[in-house]
Parts: sequence; structure tokens; C-alpha cells
Amino acid sequence: MEEIKKFIPTENITLFRSCLVSAEYPGVEASTKYVFDKLGVEYVIDRNQSCCTGLGHYYDIFDELSTTALAARNFAYAIKNNHKQYVPTCATCYAILKTAAKTLNEKDEVREQINQAFRDNGLEELQYTKGDIDARDDITHVVDVLYYLKDKIPENKKRELSSLKIATHHGCHYCKVHFDDTLCGYRNPEIIDKICEVMEVPTVEWYDQKPRHCGGGFRQRYANRELSLDATEDKFLSLHKEKVDLLLVMCPNCQVQFDRYEQVLEERTGDRHYFAILNIAQLVALYMGADPYKVLGIQTHTVNVELILDKLGIEYDPKEDTLHVREE
Amino acid sequence: MSEKNRIGVFLCHCGGNISDNVDLDYIEERLSENDEICSIKHHENLCSLEGRNIIKDQILRQDLDRVVISACSKITHGATFQKYIKPLNPYLFEMPNVREQCSWVTENKQESTDKALSLINSAVESVKYNEPLKKIPTSVKNSVLVIGAGISGITTANSLAKQGMEVTLIEKRPAVGGAMVQVGKVFTPDKMSEDCAACLLNPVIDEMVHNDNITLLTNTVLEKSTRNSGNFDVILRKKPDYVNPDKCTSCGKCTESCPTFAPDEWNEGLNDRKAIYKPFPQAVPSTYTLDDESCVKCGACLNVCPTNAINLDAIDEIISLTVGSVVIASGHQRFDTSKRPEYGHPFYEDVLSQMQLARLMGVNGPTHGHLQVPSTGKVPRRVVMIQCVGSRDQMPEGHKYCSKVCCMVALKNANLIHSHYPDTEVIICYTDIRTLGVYEKYYKYVQNNGIKFVRGRPGEIAREDDHMVVRVEDTLNRDKIEIPTDLVVLSAALESSEGTIEAAKTLGVPLTEDKFVKEKHPKMQPVSTDIEGIFVCGTAQGPKDITDSIIQANTAATKISELVNGGLEVEPFIATINVKKCILCGNCIENCRYQALTMYHNSIRVGPIACTGCGDCIVTCPEEAISIQGQSDEKLRASIAGLLKDKKEDEQVIIAFLDDIGNVSANNMGINRVDCPSSIRIINVPFINRVKYSHIKYALTHGADGVFLGEYPDTPKHNEIRENVNIMKKHLEEDGINPERLLIHSVFIPYFRGLANQFKEFDEELQILSK
Repeated sequence: MEEIKKFIPTENITLFRSCLVSAEYPGVEASTKYVFDKLGVEYVIDRNQSCCTGLGHYYDIFDELSTTALAARNFAYAIKNNHKQYVPTCATCYAILKTAAKTLNEKDEVREQINQAFRDNGLEELQYTKGDIDARDDITHVVDVLYYLKDKIPENKKRELSSLKIATHHGCHYCKVHFDDTLCGYRNPEIIDKICEVMEVPTVEWYDQKPRHCGGGFRQRYANRELSLDATEDKFLSLHKEKVDLLLVMCPNCQVQFDRYEQVLEERTGDRHYFAILNIAQLVALYMGADPYKVLGIQTHTVNVELILDKLGIEYDPKEDTLHVREE
Repeated sequence: MSEKNRIGVFLCHCGGNISDNVDLDYIEERLSENDEICSIKHHENLCSLEGRNIIKDQILRQDLDRVVISACSKITHGATFQKYIKPLNPYLFEMPNVREQCSWVTENKQESTDKALSLINSAVESVKYNEPLKKIPTSVKNSVLVIGAGISGITTANSLAKQGMEVTLIEKRPAVGGAMVQVGKVFTPDKMSEDCAACLLNPVIDEMVHNDNITLLTNTVLEKSTRNSGNFDVILRKKPDYVNPDKCTSCGKCTESCPTFAPDEWNEGLNDRKAIYKPFPQAVPSTYTLDDESCVKCGACLNVCPTNAINLDAIDEIISLTVGSVVIASGHQRFDTSKRPEYGHPFYEDVLSQMQLARLMGVNGPTHGHLQVPSTGKVPRRVVMIQCVGSRDQMPEGHKYCSKVCCMVALKNANLIHSHYPDTEVIICYTDIRTLGVYEKYYKYVQNNGIKFVRGRPGEIAREDDHMVVRVEDTLNRDKIEIPTDLVVLSAALESSEGTIEAAKTLGVPLTEDKFVKEKHPKMQPVSTDIEGIFVCGTAQGPKDITDSIIQANTAATKISELVNGGLEVEPFIATINVKKCILCGNCIENCRYQALTMYHNSIRVGPIACTGCGDCIVTCPEEAISIQGQSDEKLRASIAGLLKDKKEDEQVIIAFLDDIGNVSANNMGINRVDCPSSIRIINVPFINRVKYSHIKYALTHGADGVFLGEYPDTPKHNEIRENVNIMKKHLEEDGINPERLLIHSVFIPYFRGLANQFKEFDEELQILSK
């Protein structure tokens, strides 16, 4: 294991909910909880938590100040709950929260402006004091925790997954925004690969475009659709060339881009090759024996995951998928 | 001071420079009240021969035992008066600076006179503590350890040996020659050609081998070094001689029989070699060597060796030496390009480094000089070179500096390819082309030969069908282009080698932030290090080409020659240890950045060449066992007492402790007639940490209104000094003294006006404080 400079929590965790995970792939959160439970990680989910603003922030709907103020509010609740270790499932939440914590610690004027706003509105209890949250040590991504506990993962092995050809795609908001805090490299990010390694699931060491982003780019996906898909297409074709069965991601934005847009990309490129998309937490949950529908939530995926289950010889009842319309 | 001193005071008029603005008659009158002053004499110009006679006459007639000469700065005439006070010991005098630091900077004659009196009083009080001292003659041992046998180390060794010195040249690898022996061809300034590196290097190596003053030890590293009064006791570790060099006839039978393979370092891992091997045909020493990490000790070689030269049970050799100087010439290594995976070096066979390309093109390389694409064995249709891989790189793990040689290396290799394979196209993707001086002509020459250039740093390399693709933005016309190519060559940064970092650590020499060996002064002392007697040359000090390495190597040899042959006599102001008080805790040894102190047979020794007399060790000693010869604590306190002796009721006095840089700056103030408050009374100290809290407290409780510390900030102790001042301020507060009365400020020689302003501001602040 490489030397880890940042603190990685296994207790006092607030599992920071992501709006994209909840709305698009709720199975990612369920899988994370499933895996954390198996690994003995102590965490809570805070009903008072608000969105990190990520999507809105990158649309310029939320400015930096509102984003930081909302983060201050979330930090206050986490501290009050004695669970100030924020662990987001989404790379964007991770980056936004870290940036906000840095701003709150380093920029006295901004902090004071936000605290003043809290005071003006009778929300004194939300006020932020310099150093409340350490940007490096108090905000970690789910993959950081999984990586930290990776040697315990095989103890919970229930299924054999080694027959798949897997490529990994690392979220750029995890790798590139706060690269000093990124584990296992960011030019050739390997943290998901290292987690796969302990499950004896081989991954493609390198493929063309590996460090590239998914193309999602928040507003770009909707406002500059062509630009966004152009970028996705390069990586998509490279994955086809590698003939992978599964693409592993760590961020719901990337998951949306490759899963929801699969058909669009196939039409654009005229290139067809089946591969499914899973979050690393979903794969670890599957490895530990989780139910594909009740825990992984594969019924919410656009690209069917069932073909992968077939390949792995995992039994499932297709009737549990009540979301996809099937041709009789 | 039980017995009364017999002090003589001489007042120089300096042709009016002093006497016009200082009432020397009044001063004489006041001084004559002091019964320890037995003689007071005036003169127009004391530095004249007539002045000399007056001083000598008075010393003999009045039986003076100490002398104060009130005149100009010690820098101007200190050495003169040191001679003039003969027959007294040359250290039994003081020189209050009443010209540069008094008459020239004070407008009001009354104030100037008061200040002059206080400066002279200070000198009178402090001279009582002067001791008769002698300059210390020193000698440096006539033997040198050179670490690293590349072009730099060999050049230094040759030069030193020719000057009669005993040189031990050590090399970590089994053969000498460093990077130069690998590169095949070298670029030559002025000449539009690539020359054979081995042909240039071999005569230099031969010279080294045949010089009896040089002992060459390959497979050897420096393991330990301790400073022992001016010398270095070093311990070297030499890997086992598995192959006895005296018996080996280089027949090569062992290599044939060896079943074990390992990557061939000489060819940059492009092919394999055996575990028992000769690094390359022309290797020096020419014996075979055994790589014990890959050897499985099967014994096959033992059976075939005709001379029984092989011993698989050989053990390490530990060699201990005492040398007078050390040269770090341990060179560089190349940036690990797998840290830039987007360039595919770890994944794609056909991505090479410049050194690998050099090996491919070398006649003694893995393909005997034939340029072949590793995956196909064919001559490449196109070669793309990528510059600045790991250099000029702001991202983590990259190096922010320019590696200096890569532009020329790329041009050289590009031109070589062009001249041997005219059908192969070469494209160089560059950030900027840096071909300084005459090298620019070579750049134009290569460009005219048809080598193409794209300004841009490629983003990534991909494999496509039977070739590679380099994706790059041509930043001159903002085109994003994809260049298909058979071969990609990366110009990897030069970085400090593991051996260099290790050697610096073992020797206690500081490194720069880029991990190269730090020179004493990057501009003025480019081969010396902070530790007297340790020198650096070649790429251990920073990226540079062969020519620059040779220049630096010869400079290092010259500097050592100066030390050995110069017949050094050093000033006696060095640390002394009171052995009765010393508890051998070693704090001072650790703290000394000059490594001047060493533990020797249960006592602490001071190296007179290394010690600068800065006095930084004094504060680290828990037993107060250290003092600087001729500059005792008591003397410093007497200087302060003297300054405050005749202080008038309404007079404001600021004691300004200035280090040597600050003192020169203050002199410049005088030379340029910049006005300075008369309250400022300067005491020159060798180093700001020399001033103890007790001195400051003494000053502030015995009449001084403020204490000013003037520190040259560009030293490794800067932060410590500032921290110490904060602590002293806290102590002042605890002792009920306003900490605002202590001020530290940076000083620089040219910023004397700034220093004057600082004095003025402090003077004004203190006036307000006192009200």
C-alpha cells in the first residue's frame, strides 16, 4: 500500500448523500451502505444534509459564496452529530466540499460574511469557526475508505468475479481538483484498480484515453451537447477497442454519461459493443453477495447489467426489475 | 580585572573628517577623568607613519598594555593599526568608528561629540577584556576523496593527482565513465558535428588509470563520514570482489556458462545480460563482475574459469580513510518517465528515452548501431521526440527547473538519425528551444538539415494498429494535431541521483529544494559547500553539459589546491570549549551548520578553518561552556556598559547590534553622508544569535532606550533567529520591560538608506514610547 498522508476514517462518518446518486442510481448508496456494514464502518446519514450545489454550481446558478455557505451549514450539522467525517459517494461533492472547507479556513472575509448572514437570520448555531473542518483529513471519498480497508474485502467474498474484462474510469473531480489528496495517482489513476486487485478481478492496465474525463461536464452535457459527446466518444471508442465487459466508475456523473447515453453514442459512432457500467461500490457489494436488484439497483441502469450476471453465473429473478419495459 | 589597566587612547582627526564635527578637546577632557587611561594623544592622521611613531612611542614610554584608536572603520584601517601597535600583541586594541558611524552621519556637533564619547567609552571598557591572541596556522591533509567516476569526478581526480595529491576515486557502478560513456556521440560547440564520446573520454580515463596518485575503487560507496578537526574520517564499503581482478583474464567463459539473465543497465534495459558479465567491451576496469542480486549461485562459472578467479563466497570490504577534502561528483539520474503514463513509456515498447535511443544508435549498443523500432525491427519511418518530460513541469513529481541539456541532446540525436537514415523523418515537439551561445548555430544547422519542429507539449501517446499516435496542440497556430509515428523518444529531465542525495546526507551537506547539492553561494562560490573542505562539481550540483561539468571539476580541484597549498592562517576568533563545564551533550555539534565542532575522544574539538566565530553554538550550550576567543560575553557586556556610561539625562540611546553585513551597510551610510539619529550606537557582532537575552536585558535596564538587531536574512538560521527574538520579547514582557523596545530588522549592504530610515523610525517610536 502506498503511504497515505491524509487521514482516512472508519468511524464518525456522515455518508454524504449525492443528488445524482439518489435520483439516478440509488443502488450506489445502498451498495455503499451494504459494503460499509460488512466492513464494520461506522456511519450515519443526516436527514438535514443539503445538496453540495455541484450541478447548480457548474451551471453558474449557485455562485461560490452560496456554495460555501451551504457547505458551512452542512459542516455545522455534521459536527453537531459528532460525525464530522464527511464521506461522499460522488466525486463532485468531494471536490466541492473540500474547496469550501479550504475557503472557509483560509479566507477570513468570506467566512465572516457567511457567519454574518447566519446571524442575521437567526441561525447562529450554523456559524463556522476557522479549522472546524480540515479540508484534507475530514473529507474523503468512498473509494478512499474502500482502499484503506481493502485487505478486509476478501474476508467477505461470496461471489467469483474474475472472468470479466474490466476497465476503470476515475472521476476527475476526485483525481484532478485536489490532486495532492488523491490516492494511487492521478495521471494514471489506479485506486479502483487496486480495490479490484484484492477481489482478484483483473482490470485493463492502460487503455487509450484512460485519464480523460467522461465528457459530462455538467452544463456542457445539456448546453453544449455536441462538445460533450465528442469528448465522451473518444473514450467510448477506445473502450470498444479494448472489448471490455464492464466499465467501473466512482462518480454518478460519469455513470450517467456512459450509461444513459450509451445508445446515443452508438448511433453517433455506428460502433456497437456491449459493456455495462457499475460504480465500484456496486461491484464490491456484488462480490460480497448483495442482491442485484434490492441492493445494487441494477433496474435503474439503462444498459442492462443482467448480461454480466449471466456471464458470471449469478442467479437473479428478472421479474424483480419493475422499471424496464420488456418486449413479451 | 583586579589589576588596573594601562590604556592609551589615540584620537585621529582624519584631516578634519572627524575633528570638524567632534569636539575632541572636550572628549580628551572627559577621558582624562578615567584613571585607567594613562595616555591621550591627538593627531591629524594617525594612519600616517608619524602616527605610527606616536603610538609606538606612547606604548613604550607609558608602558601601555591596551590601546584604543578612535578613528575610521576597522575595515578601512584595522589591519594598519594592528601593525602600528607593535610591540603589543596585535589583538590588544579596539577601534571605535567615529567617522563613518558618527561624524559623517550626525549633523549637530554637540550630539556628534556626545556620541563619539560614548563610542570611545565603549571601546575603552571592552578593550579591557581583549586577550593576547595569535592567528592560527592550519594545514589541510594532502588527500582527497572523490565520489563518482563520471567525467566530472575523473577530471577532478586527474587535476588533483597532477598537483601531487593522493586521490581516492570511488564509483558505485562496476565501471567508470558515468553518463558520458553511454551516450555514444557528443555535440561539440562551434563544430557542426557529433563527435565520438568514447574517443574523447578514453584518454581522460587512461590518464586516471595510469596516475599513481589515484586509487580507483569501483563497486564502492561512501558509508560514513565524520569530521575530525579539519579532516574527514570516512568509511567506504566495497562490494565483494567475486571475480578476482588479478586473476581474471577476461576470457568470457563465465558469461557463456551463466544461466541467469538480468536487464542490461549499460544498454538501458533494451536487452539482457548475464549475472556474471563485463559491463561493456571497453569497460574500465576491464575485469568481469558479478551482479549478486540476480546471481543464483549455481556455480556454473566456477567450473569453466581457467584461472580460478571466481569466489562466490567473497565478502564486502570495509575501507577506512582520513582525507582532507571531499568532492561530490556523483552526478544525476534521469526522470522516471513512468510517472508520465500518458506518454506510454511503461506500456509501449516503441516509446524510448533519449539515452535508450543513444544506445540503439551506438555501435557498441544492442543493435550494433542500427536504428530499429523495437517491436518490428524495422527502420522507423518517422521519429517524434518529446521535450521537457519532467522538466519545466509545475505538477507534483515534476521538476520546475529546465534540464539545460535536453534541447541539444534532441538536436544531436535527431541530426544523427537524419544523417544515417535520410528517409526517416524526425519531428521535435518542444516547449522552447534553448540553445544558448554558439549552440544556436547548431540548432539552425539541424533545422536546415530538415528536422521538423512543433511547438507544443504533447498531451498523450496512443497505440494505433501498427504505429503510435502523438496528440499535440501546435501552439503557434493553435491546431490540434495527431502525428502518426513508428518511434517516440522522450527527453526526460535530469534529476539528482540517488547516489548524490545519499552522499550529501552522509556528509551532512545541504541540498537545494530540487535535491541537488547546494553550493555555498550559487553565484560567487559555485563549487564550495557550506562545509569547508567539501566541494561539488558536475551534475550533482545541477543539470549541465559535459563542458560545464569539466570546468566545474577543474575549479573544484583548484579550490582544494588553495586549501592544501595556501598555508592558511586563520583569525583566532573561534569557539573554545571549557572542558571543565562541558558535559558532552553534543547540542553544539548538531547545531553548527559549518560542521566546525566534532566529538573526539570524549572532548569536543573546534576546527579552526571551519569555525567562523559566529557564536551560534553559545546559546545552544546548557552549561555555558562555549565562548568565542577574544569575544567573551563579558566583553560584549562591557561594550554596552561603556556606551551607556556618560549618558545624559535627556539623551536617547539605541544600541544597534549589527552583523557584518549590517555593519558594512552602516559604513555605507557614512560614506554617502546619510543622516542617522545620534541615538544610534552600533556594536558589530559576528552573528545576531551571538547577542544573548542577558545582554539585551542589561542594556534596557542600564539606560538604553531601545535595542536594534540588524540581521542579514539570507542564512539558514534566519527563521531560528526571528523565533528567538519572539521568545526574547516574551521574556522582556515577563520582566516588565516593554517588548516594543526590542526591534529586529533585515539588513543588506546596498540598502543603507533603508537602514537609516529604520533607525529614524525606531528612534521616533521610542521617543513616543518614553512619553
